[in-house]
Amino acid sequence: MTGSGQTIAFRGVARDFGAVKALLATDLDIMAGEFLTLLGPSGSGKTTLLNIAAGYLAPSAGRVLIGARDVTDLPPRRRNIGMVFQNYALFPHMSVFDNVAYGLRARGVPRADLERRVEAALGMVRLGGYGARGIRQLSGGQQQRVALARALVIEPDVLLMDEPLGALDRQLRQHVQLEVRRLHRQHRRTTIYVTHDQEEALVMSDRIAVMREGRLEQIGDAETLYRRPDNAFVAGFLGESNLLRGVVTAVDGVRARLRVDGMAGEIAGAAAAGLVAGTPGAALVRPESVRVSPAGRFEARLVERVYLGELVALRLALGNGQAVVCRRFARDGAPDGDRLAIDWDPGDVRILPDANSAGTTSNRTEEET
Amino acid sequence: METRGIGFRLAVHGLGSAVLAFLILPIFAVVPASFNHGTFIRIPPERWSLRWYGRFFADSEWLSSLATSLEVAAIATVLSVAIGTAAALGLARLGGQLRAALTGLIVAPMIVPVIVTAVSLYYVGRYWGLTGTLLGLAVAHVLMCLPFVVLNVGVSLRSLDPSWLRAAEGLGASPVRVFLTVTLPTILPGLFGGAVFSLITSFDEVVMSIFLAGVGAKTLPVKMWETVRLEFSPVLSVASCLLIVLTVALFALFRLASRREAS
Repeated sequence: MTGSGQTIAFRGVARDFGAVKALLATDLDIMAGEFLTLLGPSGSGKTTLLNIAAGYLAPSAGRVLIGARDVTDLPPRRRNIGMVFQNYALFPHMSVFDNVAYGLRARGVPRADLERRVEAALGMVRLGGYGARGIRQLSGGQQQRVALARALVIEPDVLLMDEPLGALDRQLRQHVQLEVRRLHRQHRRTTIYVTHDQEEALVMSDRIAVMREGRLEQIGDAETLYRRPDNAFVAGFLGESNLLRGVVTAVDGVRARLRVDGMAGEIAGAAAAGLVAGTPGAALVRPESVRVSPAGRFEARLVERVYLGELVALRLALGNGQAVVCRRFARDGAPDGDRLAIDWDPGDVRILPDANSAGTTSNRTEEET
Repeated sequence: METRGIGFRLAVHGLGSAVLAFLILPIFAVVPASFNHGTFIRIPPERWSLRWYGRFFADSEWLSSLATSLEVAAIATVLSVAIGTAAALGLARLGGQLRAALTGLIVAPMIVPVIVTAVSLYYVGRYWGLTGTLLGLAVAHVLMCLPFVVLNVGVSLRSLDPSWLRAAEGLGASPVRVFLTVTLPTILPGLFGGAVFSLITSFDEVVMSIFLAGVGAKTLPVKMWETVRLEFSPVLSVASCLLIVLTVALFALFRLASRREAS
């Protein structure tokens, strides 16, 4: 298990299903050893892109390259990929050992070598000694790890994972997330991971590609996407966000101003790329950037106080009805009364283009699940 | 049921028992009849004996008809399983209406009066020189056996998760390997069930066999039918008994196998 996998590149890859454009022409380069997550709601094209990488789906246009090899016209069995499915897709009539050995047998690996590699793979996912078990005797988390071992034992050029933790309960999901991350840190195998769960994306990925309606909205590491989203959709999809929607009044290089109905004055902030004055925009203020302060510029009414352990979330409403969430440390105590003054640092505000403001909300993930 | 009166329950159970008796009682007549010593059948026999069994197994005509039956059933079953499995796999890939139409076509021989199929096959068989041959009769039986295989394998296929096939293919398996290691083990119960029903169906079949048997492919049921027109010998009840035993044994085997599969 030394090889770290290959690069994989998509060049103008697109896919239609009849009149439906599931994936618009997409260019994407994934480095060798990189862990890239495709993040987006269902119907965003992320699974389509993954299936095109695996070869289960032919693109309507474009090429797929693994390393220097153009694999666009190769069937999955000739691509040397490892795939982990959402429902595991383990073979129920075979033992754990035979499941993991399947890909090696298909490659004609000699018996002694095969046994050694299967045992090593099972040890890697901490299932050493489970080889003789039947699949139905395993828990969901164990089955997921067998699926992972089965995909990794063939030393694939690219590991593809399709919402592999979707069927696990929350606690187990976090455990397996860390397990997947540990394996990736150890072996640095090129991985494309599909999910609609932002937390999974944040925990595991080197880079995250946010997708919507068959398009790549933005690609970058977690911090870039969180701190410098390109548009309101990305901001809403990754992390909790306050989006104050209005019209962009001025763009001046790296700064911009936004007017929001019912709010006195204008909101200033850092300008996202492609911002045009006079078009719809949104000011992004992360909940941790909202302060409660007697000298605050904005008056707000306390709607609800939600205790989250170390943090407290204050759900507030501005004078114009705009909802704002403020998150702060619980040890800072509860504010007095339900009339508050709040403020934020202009340096923590980002003005974003908001093309389809109607379709985006800050809780897309919850709509999906 | 519990709210119904005792009278109602008695009536239901009484009627049910009567129907069962009507279906099963002939067996209880045929079996003792085969153990008669005398030339005339009496139930129960005045004297028990294996005399007519001896007569059956000493008669080369009866033995060869039994052998013919077994051969035809074997050929028909192998052909039905091969064609039927392929058909079921193909049907599973088709969309709704086309699949329904083709399934209907395959099942049609179960619905069309057998005598109509038999007469048609007689003409075709004569033209191709297939009447009176083992192969010709076996091919005719395939028509009757095919629905059992297609339906049984079709049911098994529903438990085949398409993602298993994708996983196997992704792991590098060729289509043949995917079939042998994933598809076949999954549909095996249905395949076995279809094979047993094919054997029983072919072994029992008499209408088409009478038309197509000629002298070259005289099966046990045909020989029985010919014999009964000339004389009513207790050997006939021996042949009937053999048919019953073989059919029941095959069915029991199938039940045992499917129970083991379920556990």
